[in-house]
Amino acid sequence: MSSATDAITEAERAGFDLSLVEHSLTLTPAERAREHDGALALVLELERIRDERHAHPQSISPASR
Amino acid sequence: MHTLNQFLLRLADAGVDFVVIGGYAGVLHGSSLVTRNLEICAVLTEANVAQLRRVLAELHPKHRLTPQALSFLDTPPPGTPLDNLYLRTDWGTVDILSRVLGVGDFERLKRQAESFVLESKRIRLIALDDLIRAKEALGREKDLLAAKELRAIAALRAKDDS
Repeated sequence: MSSATDAITEAERAGFDLSLVEHSLTLTPAERAREHDGALALVLELERIRDERHAHPQSISPASR
Repeated sequence: MHTLNQFLLRLADAGVDFVVIGGYAGVLHGSSLVTRNLEICAVLTEANVAQLRRVLAELHPKHRLTPQALSFLDTPPPGTPLDNLYLRTDWGTVDILSRVLGVGDFERLKRQAESFVLESKRIRLIALDDLIRAKEALGREKDLLAAKELRAIAALRAKDDS
């Protein structure tokens, strides 16, 4: 097996979805930067929602028990 | 929210001479991992530190690894030799390193660096092979994992080139 094939196999074995990488490689670095900023904004928004829920936990209504 | 791109552009607009390194360099090379801080390599001469203070002044930069979160604007005093800066700002964190473990100093990085254009500014980016070397030299689990993806990126790029 070539070292290139080894590298791809090893990344897949480590859990990387290389279809994401293959998509990324079709973009320019500037486009990758913009896509990443969108993903980071989503992560930060999810964290904000999580923190808000920890700060103000909702009571569970009897109907949903 | 300010983005890492805006941070890069602010530095580039001000004429700061730097190379993007770390996780964001991985993203720019094609990594799928998300990172929240910007790491750059630059020469931390007295003049360059003064320039960084001017560029970052409005963003309230603080030394993020000091318990008192000392302001970068007046700490350390001008003329103090610096190797690295680890800052938290209103726009997020930025680490500025004068050399990269496993690769070398700014001049070494710059010689091999790739570059790309972001909103008409040319931004230098650590070469993919150098980034892999740096991640493997760090040796932490998360860096070794990132290096595996970067090696796959190098392999896919080589396949596309052939």
